[in-house]
Amino acid sequence: MSRIGSLRRLAVSLAVCALLAGNVSGQSNPELSQAQESLHKVATTETAGALHEEGVPVTDPLVIAKCGSCHARDDKGNMERISWARTTPEGWQNALKRMILVKGVSLTAQEGRLIARYLSTYHGLAPEEGVPVRHIAERRIHEESNIADSDPGKACAKCHALALTLSWRRSLEDWKQFVELHSARYMFSPNAEIVAYLARVAPLHSPEWEAWSARTNLPNLAGRWLVIASMPGHGKYYGEMQVDRAGDDEFTTRANLTSVRDGSRTLRTGRSVVYGDYAWRGRSKGGEPASSAPDDRSSEAREVLWIAPDHSRAEGRWFWGQYQEFGFDVQLQRASSNTTLLAIDRVSLKAGSRANRVHLIGDNFPAQVAPRDLDFGPGTIVRGIVSSTSADIVAEVDVAADAPLGKHGVAFRRSVLPGAIAVYDRIDYVKVTPESAVAAFSDSTHPRGYLQFEAIGYQRGADGKLHTADDVELGPVDVTWSFQVFHAPEGSSADFVGRVSASGLFMPASENPNRNFDVWVIATARDENDQNGLALVGKSYLVVTIPTYVFNGRKYVRDLDRWVDDGPA
Amino acid sequence: MKNTLLALLAASVSFLLMSHAAEAHHGWSEFDTNREVTFEATVTDFHFVNPHCVVEFDVKDENGKIHKWQGEFSNPGQLSRQGWTAASLEAGDKFTITGNPAKNNAPAIHVARIRMPNGQEVKVDGGR
Repeated sequence: MSRIGSLRRLAVSLAVCALLAGNVSGQSNPELSQAQESLHKVATTETAGALHEEGVPVTDPLVIAKCGSCHARDDKGNMERISWARTTPEGWQNALKRMILVKGVSLTAQEGRLIARYLSTYHGLAPEEGVPVRHIAERRIHEESNIADSDPGKACAKCHALALTLSWRRSLEDWKQFVELHSARYMFSPNAEIVAYLARVAPLHSPEWEAWSARTNLPNLAGRWLVIASMPGHGKYYGEMQVDRAGDDEFTTRANLTSVRDGSRTLRTGRSVVYGDYAWRGRSKGGEPASSAPDDRSSEAREVLWIAPDHSRAEGRWFWGQYQEFGFDVQLQRASSNTTLLAIDRVSLKAGSRANRVHLIGDNFPAQVAPRDLDFGPGTIVRGIVSSTSADIVAEVDVAADAPLGKHGVAFRRSVLPGAIAVYDRIDYVKVTPESAVAAFSDSTHPRGYLQFEAIGYQRGADGKLHTADDVELGPVDVTWSFQVFHAPEGSSADFVGRVSASGLFMPASENPNRNFDVWVIATARDENDQNGLALVGKSYLVVTIPTYVFNGRKYVRDLDRWVDDGPA
Repeated sequence: MKNTLLALLAASVSFLLMSHAAEAHHGWSEFDTNREVTFEATVTDFHFVNPHCVVEFDVKDENGKIHKWQGEFSNPGQLSRQGWTAASLEAGDKFTITGNPAKNNAPAIHVARIRMPNGQEVKVDGGR
């Protein structure tokens, strides 16, 4: 790629950008012009000085055939742009969709799946690189409130999550091209600082990638896995999942989950593909037909899991809903012949309490269990074992009045869960989670966007202050739910905003008033009071708004463009 | 070239829609910027959340009756860059709070400045 060619493209991009900016605003933008001039200077100086970075050769005949007419291939097998970028399966899916939309690329569903699979596997992220951006694929609410003013990434975060940018890895030259094109498309001020920042924090070549790209094994995930899951508003689940190979990197699954809260069982079957040996993308559904309840745990779900490089554990989310607002948070651990303590049903125990019944969930517990096999930390005594099976022990535990407050590890013999239980003296405050969120009205083509809230108790930490980082989570608190509209557009009625159920599920009204409402979702503790004897109250800031008409990952060019989202064929 | 321009145009429209959506919760126009009110008040709760941080506070009138108000700030990101945290205000703190009142006479203000419990006066939102 020549320097002159690069500058020519830059000039055209900036001209289009200036044209668009002028058309929209009706006036020139001196700030933008200055920034463009700055980038122009960098393009002249840095390109000349930058070391050429080796590309990642493309070897797949289908990618070469379908992309080669525009992305020229050099004698090392590198294809323009493609060989100097790496990203997640969703990133490649979006890139392919853009090629279809903008460049008129034609792909069958099978071709789309194969190309997405090849690029995600051989031009993807290393597992360690995938961790900080996992929440995007898992469709989690994630606030990026800690980006400093001085952080060049703030420019990205003005429009979208910075993690979306950082889910790509590029060479310096490719970041430069990306910033040029992106600034023209979206009319932001390009500058050298952003390019340098992106090339530094998201480089094409990293030690993690070099190590990962040298791997030779196919993913070996078949077998029995132990599962711990939780679903907001429904509590914890435990069980196991049988994974069977259905192709080189495809698997079928059969998961049995039991609710810790009420003992009810759910069977889910599914099919998944694993990209790059660790990025699990699939679909599963319950054995029973899902009811009309939006949060029915038998609902068909997308599965996104991050699998540890040694294939010993995995974690992620199985989700559904118009806005992917429902789902299980899941953790999987490969079953072994060892005794394994997986989880306990309680989050906290009160100091000075006696005969607390605690369920310990695990695998391969021995037939004979004695109190001395269990340890809940200093100040606690296991009085006795109520019952035990190979997967579940019920123990009675006393907690001394002067037991150390805070997190305690729980152990069954040598199997330890660090910080699994909190000892507390009082609940200092109730936090409603998520602390802020968006719910959406429906219309004729868009189902409602719901929000499940939970009320979580907290105790002050060692610093004695509330709402600081060392506060200790104590688990769900029994509350009554209500909501209050505190911002309604002038002339609108707040009567039809929606309602919140007894379990904390906010259901927007089905009619779309085409307005936005700011709402407090309020949890009032039934049994927990503050130091003045008043019931503890927690609130979440909810914006109830119009349906999202454009939503990344949901607005498909046409049906066949869901290669990654749909899982294997 | 035609395709490229169409794509750029489509992207620009998307961007404008996106920008609008990002500010869709509510604007500050619901507060009267020509007026300021000041209260000696007691904090009852502080929410360090998006899209707006909110302080809830009690104001006692001359008859001793308690009136519940709330003051709205900008977002946590902006406030944190001014040194605020979720623990900057706690229930029970006495403070003096000044801001623009809601035009619809709701007991709400857009906060302009606060004299903190330690006596320090803090401007907030940077003039929004």
